[in-house]
Amino acid sequence: MARLTFPMSRIEGHAQVVIEVENGKVVSARFQATEFRGFEYLVQGVPAEQMMVIVPRICGVCSTAHHVAAVKALEDIYGVTPPPLAQTIRELLMLGQTVQNQATSLFLFTMPDRLGVASIYQLAQATSADEAQTRIATRALHVRAVGTHLITTAGGQFIHPIKAVIGGVISGIGPEQAAAMREEAIAALPVACELFDAYWEMSVALKERIGTWGDDAPACYIAAVADTRPDYTGDAIRVLCPDKVRDTFAARDFRDHLIYEETDYSYAGRTSYRGNVMRANSLARINMAQAMGTPRADAYLARFREAFGQPAHAILLYDLARGIELVYALERATEILAQPLEGEDTAVPYSPRDGEGYGLVEAPRGPLIHRYVVENGRIAHADFIIPTVHNVMAIERALRVAAERYITPERVDMELEHAVGRVVRAFDPCIACATH
Amino acid sequence: MNTFAVLQLSGCAGCEVSLLNAEEWVGEHRLVYMPLVLSAANVPQVDILLVSGGVRTDEDLYNLRRAASRAECVVAVGTCAISGGVPSLGDRDEVRELFIAEEGRRHVPRLLPRCSPIDTAVDVALYLPGCPPTPELFMAALTWPAEFEASTIVCRECGRKKLKDMRPTHLLGFQKGEILPDVCLINQGFLCIGSSTRGGCRAPCPRAGHPCVGCRGPSDVLIEKESSAWFSSIQRVFKALTDIPPEEIEAALRSPQYALFLFQFSDYAAPERPPRPKEKVL
Repeated sequence: MARLTFPMSRIEGHAQVVIEVENGKVVSARFQATEFRGFEYLVQGVPAEQMMVIVPRICGVCSTAHHVAAVKALEDIYGVTPPPLAQTIRELLMLGQTVQNQATSLFLFTMPDRLGVASIYQLAQATSADEAQTRIATRALHVRAVGTHLITTAGGQFIHPIKAVIGGVISGIGPEQAAAMREEAIAALPVACELFDAYWEMSVALKERIGTWGDDAPACYIAAVADTRPDYTGDAIRVLCPDKVRDTFAARDFRDHLIYEETDYSYAGRTSYRGNVMRANSLARINMAQAMGTPRADAYLARFREAFGQPAHAILLYDLARGIELVYALERATEILAQPLEGEDTAVPYSPRDGEGYGLVEAPRGPLIHRYVVENGRIAHADFIIPTVHNVMAIERALRVAAERYITPERVDMELEHAVGRVVRAFDPCIACATH
Repeated sequence: MNTFAVLQLSGCAGCEVSLLNAEEWVGEHRLVYMPLVLSAANVPQVDILLVSGGVRTDEDLYNLRRAASRAECVVAVGTCAISGGVPSLGDRDEVRELFIAEEGRRHVPRLLPRCSPIDTAVDVALYLPGCPPTPELFMAALTWPAEFEASTIVCRECGRKKLKDMRPTHLLGFQKGEILPDVCLINQGFLCIGSSTRGGCRAPCPRAGHPCVGCRGPSDVLIEKESSAWFSSIQRVFKALTDIPPEEIEAALRSPQYALFLFQFSDYAAPERPPRPKEKVL
């Protein structure tokens, strides 16, 4: 049996794809996460209120999602509801996370596949590259940076934010700071749209070249946002199945719906929706959306629907769905930054108590749940239910489709290596989170 | 044009994300290896090797030694690479017991006994502290801009007023009640250690109202001394500004999850290691 190994790049973290082939037939296609730090163990004994400082360090790409999930889990235990202003600032924080992540995924991770280069930085700095491409690269890096500035504005720190605390946030956003940030977001919006248009065209060209948008078999879709004006701070988990059956459940009931299993080849494991292949991340949210609720994002959504229908299943559409969300997040942030963001209460008092709590957010990669058990004020048990893990079965199914396309009894088509990269990046997996 | 590579060991990629916010190097250096944003099989021969993350597994150790052998100089980036960082909370005996117990039950890798700083395995020319280091530090390491100034302490950059007549009698823990906007967090009863933590971050945490948790490590005055000097420096600050009993502060500081050890546990759990020379720490 031949074993083909593909180390992954332009994703977050350490992973590889292993495809086993026998007599020209694909035996298995596996996605292996190859790192591990043991956060579920090392947080044991930690004072509960310090979790918001520690858990962002699970992942420097998704730190904001972990920060907010932690505070929500503890608020669930302590029985506190943050005041409206705090909820708004947390929404803004998650929008910053969305801008940062979707711009990174689109422009730094997957655009090189469309342009046939190893990295966007080769375009940014190559003297021989054509000028239009260099311009794309520098503007893409700029849009991404606006997302990090939004996180700083709402979260205090741009990578490991600190402003969400039990009961609310530690401070509001002053009018000058909000106005400056708003100007920046307004200026970034047309740039983001122009880049997304270019990206869309490149994707169509890619599809014409390779002849497919990838694995398009139906799947269940999972997300924790409402079907209009997505608020990524998350309320309930929603599932859409191929037969149009919809299911909604609370984070604390996730075990009745999501089945987790260990695997002997990866440190991440995998989850199914009651045994069915499930997909989280941008395409899941866009498939369940009725409207985005902002003008330019809605125009893109209409264009997407017209071209690909609802639900759309082909995996390269994940990337286009990310673009719609990038535009939405910039527009929605602009709306929020026009409101007064200080002056009201930013936090309510609370009394710590022991118990079990669940914190849910819609991270860029899908629903993220933190579950804590607190005893004597310290973490006695922690579970991190990670959206990338929800996608592992779907990733492996899509890898198999690609492998069977490019591996025949006669030969292995060298396009396979590119196909493996495109498949995995469409799901934008985060390995630091998945293994934690 | 100088070449540089970015090798990530066991970490969170936050350092890499910070580097993405620094753009000024683009015209001056050529990035040849950084799996997060560039497809390349191996670390080639390079002028500068930036290493983030701690040495947690034997694979980390192998990758670090192999890459360092091809580099003119090695830069330790971020708290994990410098002093173990947050994942080194796993070095605690009780957590190690959990790891060992789970090895047979779950699919987890064999971990090294400690999450070690990279200078336990290779020579390090420069340290960029912080969780994560600021984009400015990356720029300083790569280009040495004329305006770069080495940092002092977080306290200097915070701007909150220290009051003589607002003296709490107990620590408040993390976040309780309303935080006064312009008053020193120590006056308000928070265990803020910005007075002894290396600055250069522009104090975003205490300015926003969150106590400094010491992610950038000890300041120049303390970096070459043992941890007791750091402890007593913090005690002196609290004595000047509060009536909190020293035992209470001592107990909080010695808890491995609290400020002082959160990012430096691996360092101070292995006191036989020589201190890092302050000239090498930005």
